[in-house]
Amino acid sequence: MNHTFTLPNSGHNFDAKASKLGMWLFLYTELLLFGGLFLVYMVYRFLNQEAFLEASYELNVWMGTVNTIILLTSSLTIAMSITALQKGDKKLSVILLWLTIAAALAFLVIKYFEWSAKFEHGLFPGMEHYDALPVGERLYFYLYFFMTGLHALHVIVGAVFILVVVKKINNGSVNQKRYSLLENSGLYWHLVDLVWIYLFPLFYLIH
Amino acid sequence: MDNTHHEEHISSYAELFGTWVALILLTFMTVFISVFGSGLQTLTVAMALLIASVKATVVGLYFMHLKYDQKMYRVMMMVVMSLFTFFLIMVILDYLTR
Repeated sequence: MNHTFTLPNSGHNFDAKASKLGMWLFLYTELLLFGGLFLVYMVYRFLNQEAFLEASYELNVWMGTVNTIILLTSSLTIAMSITALQKGDKKLSVILLWLTIAAALAFLVIKYFEWSAKFEHGLFPGMEHYDALPVGERLYFYLYFFMTGLHALHVIVGAVFILVVVKKINNGSVNQKRYSLLENSGLYWHLVDLVWIYLFPLFYLIH
Repeated sequence: MDNTHHEEHISSYAELFGTWVALILLTFMTVFISVFGSGLQTLTVAMALLIASVKATVVGLYFMHLKYDQKMYRVMMMVVMSLFTFFLIMVILDYLTR
């Protein structure tokens, strides 16, 4: 007996709405993940106000500002890339995605220099200078490395995600009619931007 | 029924660019307040968080397309934000009453 059966939509299970909803559900959990970390930051800052203030002067406001501008601009390029694909301009869409990936790399390079400077000053948890700091400043750097580190991990994941989308646009499986994956990578990338919008003032600006 | 069709609004380049300009201006504003207004610490903290929230809302509405998508995503966002606010209030109450 032949047990093959045909799905109502002949096997082409493409559901843009469900796919977007799935992405959003994931993003809500991401918001709560970083939200929890912000609560930790808030409590320790409340308990160690002077130390947090003191430690925050170690960060380079200008590097932070440049990185903020880079991320905002990359959010623009990926949003425009969606518009381009929706309008059928595949080539422009791909160029804009490459620009987004380039911005992600630029962000990480700046982050690398920032972290290297901290390492040179022995400010990473476990290093000699770090261990000698007052408790409040240790907490500040611990949270700084953990939160910006987790964020940087999201930048890397986002860049890889976008790279996959570029491949799929090039081979045609993501196109003018089916752009869910591109849209979802955009949503993820904007979330990365959103988290940085809070990290930047909390660590760099609050003097 | 054509299942692949999005009956969606397409964001215009001009609108996206305008959103970016607004975000950059808000960034300069918050940096400016922080660097030149360091005498007013409490105000600086409040302003920084307020500006960050305005920026986050702009990113959500325009870049993440919440303004034009189905209401459901906005409603769920409100639920998540309420949940977070609840956690926040509980933590604040905890530390203020110790």
